[in-house]
Amino acid sequence: MAATDPIAEKTDEELAREARAGSRRSFEELAGRYKRRLFVYLRPRLGSDEDAEDIVQDTFLKIYRSIDRYDPAYRFSTWLYTSANRLAIDSFRKNAVARDKIPASSGRDVPDPAAGCEDEAGATGVWDTARTLGAVRYRVLWLRYGEDMTIEEIAAVLGRSRLAVRVLLHRARRSLVGRLGPEVGLAARTRTGVARQAAGD
Amino acid sequence: MLCTISRWMISRAEDTGKKLPRFAERHVRRCGACSDYARSTASLSSRLRAERSGWLAQAPEFPSGLGAGREQLPAKTRARLLFGLRPLPVAASVIVLIAAGFVLLRVIPRDSAPSAEDRIAARAAIRTLASAPEELRGVMGAAESSLNRERQVLERSLASAVDYLQARLNIKIERKETPKTL
Repeated sequence: MAATDPIAEKTDEELAREARAGSRRSFEELAGRYKRRLFVYLRPRLGSDEDAEDIVQDTFLKIYRSIDRYDPAYRFSTWLYTSANRLAIDSFRKNAVARDKIPASSGRDVPDPAAGCEDEAGATGVWDTARTLGAVRYRVLWLRYGEDMTIEEIAAVLGRSRLAVRVLLHRARRSLVGRLGPEVGLAARTRTGVARQAAGD
Repeated sequence: MLCTISRWMISRAEDTGKKLPRFAERHVRRCGACSDYARSTASLSSRLRAERSGWLAQAPEFPSGLGAGREQLPAKTRARLLFGLRPLPVAASVIVLIAAGFVLLRVIPRDSAPSAEDRIAARAAIRTLASAPEELRGVMGAAESSLNRERQVLERSLASAVDYLQARLNIKIERKETPKTL
C-alpha cells in the first residue's frame, strides 16, 4: 500500500495556520490545491489564459506576503478568492485605462467573457455552457458549486449583498437550464420561459 | 406570476435549505413546467458538482508563483519575488551599506600604522621643532586645523547619512556620548 503524504490530508485551514507559522511547504501545498481552481474562476473575467495565470500568481504572492493576517476562524478559500477578486478588478481597471489610451484603429477589443468557448470542440459540458452565461453568472456558479461556498461567503468574496448573490444564482441557474434544455429538464420551455428566452435572456 | 414566484422559492430552497412555502408546493404539484424546473435545478446542482473535476482538468499546468522553480516563472514575477516582497528593508539595507562603506573609506587610511621610516622622520621633526618652540606652535596649529577640517567634513557626511536614514525609515538615531576632542 502506498504511503500518503500527511500534508495532503490536512485541511486548507490547518495548512494556512502552518504557513502562518512559517512553513513554506504548507503554503506550496495550498498553492497547488488552488491554482487551477483560481484559474478557471478568473479566466472568463480576464479573457485570456496569460492574464488569468498572472493574476493567480499575483494572488499567491499577495497571500504569501499577508499570511500573518489570515484569521483561521474563516475559511481559507473565502480569503483567497476575495484577494483574487480584488486583484482581478485592479487588473481589469488598469487594462481598461490602457485600452482607452490605445487608438480605436489598433483593433484591440475588450475581453469577451465567453472568449474561447465557441472554438472548443464538444462544448457540451455543463461548465462549458456556464461559461457562456457571462463572467458574473459563471463566477457565482463556480463559487457555489465549484467551491461549495455558502451565500454569505459568496457575498463576502464578490462584495455584494446576500440578496444580490441569490438573485444572480437564480438567474444563472435559470439561464443554464434554458441553454442545456432537455439535458437537465424542460423547465425553460414554459410560456414565461420562452418569452424570456425570446427577449434575449 | 405564480410560476415566477414559485421558481424564486425553488431557488431559495436550493440556496438556503429552507422548505418551500405551502402555496409554492401546491403550485409545483399542479404545474408541470415548475415541477420540471424543480427537478432540473436539483439535477443541475449535482451535475455542476460532478463535472467540476473534469472542468478543472482542462486548465493548463503553470507555476503557482511560489511553489515551482523560479526559473520557470516569467521575468516580471521573478523580479517581484526578489524585490517586491520586502521593498523597504531592501532599500534600507542598501542605504546602510553605502553609508558604512563611505565611513570606512574615510576612517581606515588614517588608522594605518606608520612605518619605521615615518617614525624616524617624525622624531627628527619633533627634535627640530623642540629646538624652535615658536615654530612648533605654528606647525601644531596648522596640523590641528587640518585635522579639524577633516573631522568637520566627516561629521557632516555622517550627519547627512543619519538624517536620510531617519527620514527614510521613520526612526530616531541619537548620539550616545559627546564627541571626543582631538
